[in-house]
Amino acid sequence: MTAPPRRAPRAGIHPDPTKSWLRRAWPIVRAHRALLITSLTLSFIGLIVQVQIPDLVRIGIDRALVDRTEGLEKYVWLIAGLAVAQGVINFLARLYLLRTAYEMEYDLRNLVFGHFMRMSYGFYDRVQSGELISRATSDIRAVQMYLAFGPSILVQCTIAGIAFALMVSINAPLAVVAMLTMPVIAVLGVRMRKAIFPVSWLIQSRLAGVATVVDENIQGVRIVKAFAAEKRQIDTLARAADGVRWAYTTDARIRSRWMPVMDNLPRLGLAMVLLVGGLMVLDGNATVGTIVAFNSYVLMLQPPFRMLGMIIMMGQRAAASAQRIYDILDTPAELDDPAVPVVPQPRGDVRFEGVRFAYPDGTLGLDGLDLHIRPGETVALVGATGSGKSTVARLAARFYDTGGGRVLIDGADVRDYPLETLRDRVGIVPDEPFLFSVSLHDNIAFGHPSATRDQVVTAAVAAGADGFIQELPEGYDTVVGERGYTLSGGQRQRVAIARALLVNPPVLILDDATSAVDVRVEHEIHEALRDLMRDRTTIVVAHRLATIGLADRVVLIDNGQAVATGTHAELLATEPRYGRVLATEVHA
Amino acid sequence: MSMFGGGFGGPGGGPGSGAIAGMGGTGTRRQGNTPFAGVPPELAAGVTLLEASEPDHPDPAETFSHAPDDGRLTLWSLLSGRPGLLVTAAFAVGVEAMLLQSGPYLVQVGIDHGIVARDVPVLVFAAVAFLASVALTAAATAVRIRTSGRLAAYSTRDLRVRVFTQLQRLSLDHYTTEKAGVTMTRMTSDVEALQQLLQEGFAQFLIHGLTMVVVTAVLVHYDATLAAITLLLVVPPLLLLTLWFRKAADVGYLRQRDTIAGLFTHLTESLNGVRVITAHNQQDRNVIAHREVVGAYRDANDHTGRINAVYGPGTSVIGLLGLAALLLIGGRMVLRGTLTIGELTAFVLYLNAFFQPVQQLVQLYTNYQQARAALGKLRGLLGTVPAVREKPGAQPLPPASGRIELREITFGYDLTRPVLRGVNLRIAPGETIACVGPTGAGKSTLAKLVSRLYDPDSGTVLIDGHDLRDVTLDSLHRQVGVVPQEPFLFAGTLRDNIAFARPDVPDEVVHAAVDAVGLRELVDRSPDGLSTILHERGQSVSSGERQLIALARVFVAEPRVVVLDEATSSLDLRSELRVEAAIQRLLEGRTAILVAHRLSTARRADRVIVVDDGDIVEQGTHAELVAAQGRYAAMYATWQSHTTPG
Repeated sequence: MTAPPRRAPRAGIHPDPTKSWLRRAWPIVRAHRALLITSLTLSFIGLIVQVQIPDLVRIGIDRALVDRTEGLEKYVWLIAGLAVAQGVINFLARLYLLRTAYEMEYDLRNLVFGHFMRMSYGFYDRVQSGELISRATSDIRAVQMYLAFGPSILVQCTIAGIAFALMVSINAPLAVVAMLTMPVIAVLGVRMRKAIFPVSWLIQSRLAGVATVVDENIQGVRIVKAFAAEKRQIDTLARAADGVRWAYTTDARIRSRWMPVMDNLPRLGLAMVLLVGGLMVLDGNATVGTIVAFNSYVLMLQPPFRMLGMIIMMGQRAAASAQRIYDILDTPAELDDPAVPVVPQPRGDVRFEGVRFAYPDGTLGLDGLDLHIRPGETVALVGATGSGKSTVARLAARFYDTGGGRVLIDGADVRDYPLETLRDRVGIVPDEPFLFSVSLHDNIAFGHPSATRDQVVTAAVAAGADGFIQELPEGYDTVVGERGYTLSGGQRQRVAIARALLVNPPVLILDDATSAVDVRVEHEIHEALRDLMRDRTTIVVAHRLATIGLADRVVLIDNGQAVATGTHAELLATEPRYGRVLATEVHA
Repeated sequence: MSMFGGGFGGPGGGPGSGAIAGMGGTGTRRQGNTPFAGVPPELAAGVTLLEASEPDHPDPAETFSHAPDDGRLTLWSLLSGRPGLLVTAAFAVGVEAMLLQSGPYLVQVGIDHGIVARDVPVLVFAAVAFLASVALTAAATAVRIRTSGRLAAYSTRDLRVRVFTQLQRLSLDHYTTEKAGVTMTRMTSDVEALQQLLQEGFAQFLIHGLTMVVVTAVLVHYDATLAAITLLLVVPPLLLLTLWFRKAADVGYLRQRDTIAGLFTHLTESLNGVRVITAHNQQDRNVIAHREVVGAYRDANDHTGRINAVYGPGTSVIGLLGLAALLLIGGRMVLRGTLTIGELTAFVLYLNAFFQPVQQLVQLYTNYQQARAALGKLRGLLGTVPAVREKPGAQPLPPASGRIELREITFGYDLTRPVLRGVNLRIAPGETIACVGPTGAGKSTLAKLVSRLYDPDSGTVLIDGHDLRDVTLDSLHRQVGVVPQEPFLFAGTLRDNIAFARPDVPDEVVHAAVDAVGLRELVDRSPDGLSTILHERGQSVSSGERQLIALARVFVAEPRVVVLDEATSSLDLRSELRVEAAIQRLLEGRTAILVAHRLSTARRADRVIVVDDGDIVEQGTHAELVAAQGRYAAMYATWQSHTTPG
């Protein structure tokens, strides 16, 4: 745990969205230029060394074995020396290249994640998290692969040029014959990938389809058995399996069209070298060593040309992926800290003045709400579904900005607070609580990570969570969430309440926070809360009579406005709308 | 990969590609958000074109019986299912392996007998033969890819259906003891491992094995000593390096997979919990925590990268040093006149021919091991005998009046802890029974035994006097309808979900069920009426409507007996009233067992039974039990006191 914190990303993308995607990614590449340039230089040198070896074999055979004018040993030692040298150089080149790739990926991932954390509620209302995850994984990888491997493959292709020049200097006509198939390999490589990508995607998508059917049958096994629907489910699976089978046979068909050609074209070059080169030797225009050397060159140059096809396809995917990543990075954070922050003394005074708000999808939230909640008061908000009562909570903590009017906390507009201060001051417990895959202790101490176990337990006791936590095999150290122990809805809600209580905010908002807790337990929580609410402003969005019973005052919300206020009994006596809402929306 | 060291990864694909692909599958699917939710725009045109060329597959003609699978599964049984394809593929592999190695031999003939002997027709013959062999190899490769691909695709298709059929046979205890993820793995990655081996693995194994044999034979034919020296120079070091690489890379890939899984988890959680993070001002802490997981992932990549960087250039060094040694030894032999230049050239060219086979065989061995492990696990699954099974000669249950009797029932999910102990209960036809009691008392278990999702450890469950174990499962399930606690909706249309038990019923029946449960509003609101496709896990309908759909399903099934496990999650009052009304209508004239979580439900039953500690402790009508001042009366009093404001 003493390891130093990891570094921040070294660079961001170019802010100008009109620039090309590569230009925009350039600052990140630039930040790692030392490593990248070293790697490219090394791989260039390595290739130069490598190209010399077949030439040495040629000269060795011609001089030592055919003409017998020189000793063989000299060439053998040279070849061995160059072999080791190119091995070491290529090792370093690869090492640095891969490292560059991973460093850039590190930057990209952290850039995107940092941006995610700055986005507001409105952003997450619009975008599905699955979509974001896919961008943060496969899209980043596509871009990073291209940025790192693109230059390297290009270096390898330029080496083909150098090798070709060397071959031309040895024997120009034979060089042309030997290399004739290379451009064809490059072109076919691109076309092959174009043909194969859709079918690979199709295979993956259909395998996912099979998995969905299986998943559904595991989850719904009781229904399938209870309704004797086994045969039909098997038919459904068989249909999905037929889809997979077709995708695989189609894949085989497509590959059987391309692979034989791709694999055998270089050998075609070898046959041509034998025929043309052989005839030239007979005419005295070439040597046997040349034929041997050219054979090696053809084999050596084939991989870069194959990869040329890959790099072009990678480039297309990277461009598309980069655009999707930029779309996120270009989305501004909608809420900003004020230029001149105001931080009044915390008292717990909440005031809505003519507040209007509509959600991004057009749903009306509030329509001119006026409401004043005094320090220490406990107020229940009651209203029909969609009346706007939950919106009140979200605006008080400035998860959204109002579309008109003001929200004042302790006399200052929420927009004038630093966001952090404001959210420390207004604590919210949502109706669908989210727990992280960490221990219960860490979940409760989430807003206050340095809290002691005593503080955590105190909060849990107040939220009625201590009892069931103590019964878990590992108590407060039990890991929960997706990768851990599964708690019931009511238990999760109690943990979320404990989490909010631990932060001890002057204003606490319970947004239907006990809906899944059973009646008896809710009663206990209310008893505990009653003490805690005494010096705290508390707003309760209520769906149950028992919850309403906690409040000093009830506010009836209808169509985005506060239409009546008073105690439960007063409203029941004077306000017919209140009675109607209770009858349809509130649990007995 | 040649001795000149092209390519980036070693055997086993590019760095990290496997880890990413693997995670894409499991990681995101779990979120209910497959990465294949939409076609990526750059592939859209190609995919549309492909799908347009897909023929209609004939309707599946699978059969289902509760008779257990014989559990026999071997690689040979997978291969031999389609002998025509197998023979063709094997033949193509043989031709390919032989022809592939004819090249260097023909070069040697061309040099020695054509060029050195100055015989033009021989040179031309050698070159033309080379060209012809290239063309023939290509043809053989094409046939091999196509036939082995088809063989693999067809036999894994059958395997998928067979394993899934077995999953349908297994009883509920399998699903409660085995994690869903494990069962999923059997149907996905295990079958995929076999698919890979059948499609490419076997053919490659044969080709490379044959190549090594053929090349060795040719070299020995030229010169036995030099052949032995060449083999010794190249094969052992290459084999050692490759074995080291496989081992190191496996460890490395594992680390990559673990770290990317960590990264995924953190990313997913942070996005799902972003509102909590924001509300508690933990963004910065979370950004730093993310750097930590990304950093761990980068380090793992770096580690694997180092291994890859050693392997590629390492093999190339071995190859080139071998070349130098060959040149030295062979060159001396040429100088002494015991070897021709053409033969030396052939040796140099054949040197290359050892690289791919050695690397590939090591890789294939890993694949083979994975496939064998998968085979073992699949065999285990196929050999599992379901706990609830149909008796041989079981008779269909005749139309029942709905009289149910439980005699001395003892049952536990594991043998040491019985949940029910000697329970006796008689239910008259048409009677509604509500089971109440604390969580874990056994009331849901009682319901599961009546629908024979489990068999009792001892005692008998009878319906109209027939032991449930003596009748066919199909006929039993047609007469006992179940509404589970959490209504589960299948992907498909609204109609598919409602007419789940009897998909062939006319639309009127479905509409009648819709009206009976009060779902008309949902049907009218849905764009395509009954044909509207429900989103994954039915998230486009409210939880109240989901419960109503589950009830409508039973209406269509028209069972004599209804077993209803009440949902615990609370609904808003309006939905609750609708659900209650639908339940009332469903129970009219049917025998019913309600597992009640709310006393308001119990109140309306003909008889209430209180289950505690594995037995029935009280029974009678609501009024009787309240008057008796026992356990039920106490529960009722607490419940009442908390439903008024305090």
